[in-house]
Amino acid sequence: MKQITIIMLLSILFLTACEKDISIQMPQYTNRVSIQCGLEVGVSPKVFFYSTVPYFDITSLRQAFVNGANVKISNATETDSLIKDSTYNYLKCEFEYYYQGKTPIKANQSYQLTIVSKGETYKATTKTNLVPVSIDSVGYTQQFSDIYGEHEGVIPYFHDNTNLTNYYRYEMKRDIDTTMKYREGKIYSPCIGGGKVTVLELGRSVYNNANLSNSQIKIVIEPAYSHKAGMVGIVRIRTIDKVTFDFFDQLDKQKLGQTNPFVEPLFLIDGQFGKKAVGYFGSIVRSAPVQFIFPE
Amino acid sequence: MEYKSISRKLVALGLVIFATSYVVAQNITLSGYIKDEHSKESLAGASVFSTNYKIGASTNEYGFFSITIPKADTLGLVVSYIGYKPQAKKLFIKNSLRLDILLEPNAAELSEVVVSANRNDNNVNRAQMGVLDVPIKSINTLPVLAGERDLMKILQFLPGVQQGQEGTTGFFVRGGNSDQNLVQLDEATIYNPNHIFGLFSTFNVNALKGVSLIKGGFPAKYGGRLSSILDISMKDGDKENFHVEGGIGLLSSNLTIQGPLEKGKSSFIVSGRRSYIDLLTKPFMPGGINGVNYYLYDFNAKLNYELGKNDHLFLGYFTGKDNAVYTGTNSLNFNIDFGNTTSNVRWNHIFGDKLFSNTSLIFNDYHLGLATDQGNYYSMLYTGIKDITLKSDFTFMPGPNHEVKAGFSYTNHTLFPGAVSGKIPKKGNRLVVNPDSIAQQYSNEAAFYISDELKINDMLSVSYGIRAPFFVSGSKTYTFVEPRITAKLSLNETTSLKASYTEMNQFMHLVPNSTASMPTDIWLTSSAKVKPENSKQIALGLFKNFDNNGIETSVEVYYKTMTNQVLFKEGTQITLKSNIEDMLTFGDGNSYGIEFFAKKNFGKLTGWVSYTLSKTTELFPDLNYGKEFPFTYDRRHNLSATAIYELSKRWTVSADFTLYSGSAFTLPSGKVFVSDEGSLYDNIYYDYTTRNNARLPIYHRLDVSFSNKKHVKIFGLPCEREWVFGVYNLYSRQNPYFVYLTTDYITKQPVAKQVSLLPIIPSVSFNFKF
Repeated sequence: MKQITIIMLLSILFLTACEKDISIQMPQYTNRVSIQCGLEVGVSPKVFFYSTVPYFDITSLRQAFVNGANVKISNATETDSLIKDSTYNYLKCEFEYYYQGKTPIKANQSYQLTIVSKGETYKATTKTNLVPVSIDSVGYTQQFSDIYGEHEGVIPYFHDNTNLTNYYRYEMKRDIDTTMKYREGKIYSPCIGGGKVTVLELGRSVYNNANLSNSQIKIVIEPAYSHKAGMVGIVRIRTIDKVTFDFFDQLDKQKLGQTNPFVEPLFLIDGQFGKKAVGYFGSIVRSAPVQFIFPE
Repeated sequence: MEYKSISRKLVALGLVIFATSYVVAQNITLSGYIKDEHSKESLAGASVFSTNYKIGASTNEYGFFSITIPKADTLGLVVSYIGYKPQAKKLFIKNSLRLDILLEPNAAELSEVVVSANRNDNNVNRAQMGVLDVPIKSINTLPVLAGERDLMKILQFLPGVQQGQEGTTGFFVRGGNSDQNLVQLDEATIYNPNHIFGLFSTFNVNALKGVSLIKGGFPAKYGGRLSSILDISMKDGDKENFHVEGGIGLLSSNLTIQGPLEKGKSSFIVSGRRSYIDLLTKPFMPGGINGVNYYLYDFNAKLNYELGKNDHLFLGYFTGKDNAVYTGTNSLNFNIDFGNTTSNVRWNHIFGDKLFSNTSLIFNDYHLGLATDQGNYYSMLYTGIKDITLKSDFTFMPGPNHEVKAGFSYTNHTLFPGAVSGKIPKKGNRLVVNPDSIAQQYSNEAAFYISDELKINDMLSVSYGIRAPFFVSGSKTYTFVEPRITAKLSLNETTSLKASYTEMNQFMHLVPNSTASMPTDIWLTSSAKVKPENSKQIALGLFKNFDNNGIETSVEVYYKTMTNQVLFKEGTQITLKSNIEDMLTFGDGNSYGIEFFAKKNFGKLTGWVSYTLSKTTELFPDLNYGKEFPFTYDRRHNLSATAIYELSKRWTVSADFTLYSGSAFTLPSGKVFVSDEGSLYDNIYYDYTTRNNARLPIYHRLDVSFSNKKHVKIFGLPCEREWVFGVYNLYSRQNPYFVYLTTDYITKQPVAKQVSLLPIIPSVSFNFKF
């Protein structure tokens, strides 16, 4: 009896927080477009041209692809007209759409992106003059703490080999299966079955070489997926330009505010396309690949 | 140069006031204290009225009055105070007289509501506007939560005052943030006037004498906050007899003891309250359980000595503390420890028969330590404040048409704020904030003021003054001049029109976190980087009483601008190495609204209704793309109603209802696909278009309470006992505590989840008074 009384008292006192799904009346949202394109020397250009959708809209984001756009990438001598293409993403079990060009990008050129869609024209320029770095080695730590919390980390070491301001991003390609985890959650993908799928993990953070010019740089990256001992990954460092850095740096900070309730939300500032579109048109160059074997 | 300019203005105003004060000759002065006949407790706000000259005066907060009137062979005097029998006197005097007057409490329990001969017309007749005197007796008749009667709850039913989200502490006045309210208990600042979740305040109602909320037309005496002054005074203690009163509730019990130290000369009052859920559950909680533990306590003590006819000494002490650990749903885990402690020495001295002074030395200690988990993240913060204050206030009453107030105050602030947040580690220790290692911030705040309440003629009264605050932090000094003026035009005996203009500055800032659900707020002082907040407020009000002051009504409109408001920059994450000042951004705000109030003071059914229509916006160059956005507590509509019905001599039923628009919060408006597969972005990023673009659902709630009072004998002693049966949130409305976003695991679609705290809560409590 006493215990019942206590339980009742506790219920009254601490009133076990009641949670329920609610629908929120949001103000009218005007869609805008998102343009994402990073030119890589020797690779045909790919432009992701999507419409934003209202936050609570149940539309698949991949269905928000903007069809019927006239997309061109040109340099001083030639123009490449891009056409709609797609890749099937086995992990997500759906197609991803983009505009694909035919002409490989050349080094040390100025490129202009022009998109005409639904009466609007979007333009931006970039230069393909970035210098790749070479990775010295790749290490691993079981435990590392940074503003994202405590996590394991893959640690590429590389030399910043120019006197310019450079910006970097990590990538790793590896094969995973559904026995692994994405962050803390299970991978839900009926398309993989018992097989494997190749994923490209891009580092959430982007880095610049401020005060590190010409010295060795070490970055610690939280892998997006869990691993098994002996799993092999191919690691590269991307050198990216400033507009690409600014865009992904904002996304990084915004994501932190999304997941950590103690971080203020971040509004994206206007980039190359002004208020008409969010996104970036930049260039990247990748280091030579280095094989990394997870030690445990 | 600046100092000289301020000094000149103060001196000039002083000369004007002095010159206009001394124009009366051949007068006599009646002065003294008005007190309760039985307890000898002084009565603040009592009225002394000369029937010969139709002029009057009121007692100040210490119960002292002084009225100077022309000589007459016979002087008629009526002394009255709400809840007391009015007293008429005829005096045959030729010279000034010191006259302490004792008033007899009205026999009826609800004397405030049944005495019609002496209903209060202060709302119409005083020059001040924007002042709400909170009736202590009403607190004792309103519905209770978990058996606890509460002062802060009643405030939230008043026009222009809003509570925060259910489950949060603090209140919001006329578009101001919660830190813009100066809460004083016997002149000592209380930085957090609520216990956890805002369920009830730190003030034990049994120990309170008077409560006044000023939300506009601020007297020059007050400063340091932009939006309101909540002035609370404790009882002095019965100088004649010992009394014991208390209450036993589900959550806590309280006890108040008061009595004489030397009959008629000095007295004491001690009052304490403690919750005991931790003690009750302790035997049943397995060791090391990570669940619920909670206690709160508060304790007041006050001594007062009449050192002589002209001197009175008060010693006060207050401490209150909350400590809670809660591990519940995924979205609500915390460990919190906070408390206020104040002590003060106050000395009243009367110079002659027209000048009253009070000098106070006050110590204040506040701390808040909070560790919160929300989802996979944690936050820790510690904020501590220690103040030492010395102040002196003088009231000079040269004649019936003037009341001149002047004074100074000096406060030394020491603050130590620190915070950190991050992802919860899978193993190992979290980063912690060690209060001893936080860099302390020192600052000094001083202010001088002078004001006069001038009755120009029977129709027109003006209260005008000036306050000059100074603030020094490191090498940075801020000085200001704050004009204050309120004018009252009496249209007839029951109607008046009032207008006011006030400027205020604030040097202490509570920086709110815009997203987290727990009070992750940090106090900072002004500095070279953090400029003082400033407000300018104009207000206009029409006050009308009906039925011999039995029904009070008012309509007030206000417009307030606020500068140097403080928020965190977008994307801010505080780490141990952070310099918090570098993470702040500054902007302006403005608020305007109209407030309706109607109160019925007589009959079996009493109560009031208030409605506020208001809008508050903010403009920060670095936030929301530099565009204006709604203040978090911008609630367009705020309605509340309170009713008390006397069913019989013993039974009283009371109910309150409140309804207000949902608070604003920020949600992304749009989302867009990010092409890079497999990164930690979830392939989605957000398009925020407007800060505070979403609204929580409307809040409404009905509380009901029944009380049964009876005079009985317990242990052979006469006792008034009371049973109180209450229901909080009668129809169990799930009001929002906060809303968070998550993603459906299967559909990958965003979902908004609302967390609610307080469903229907029945309660029963037993109160007694010997």
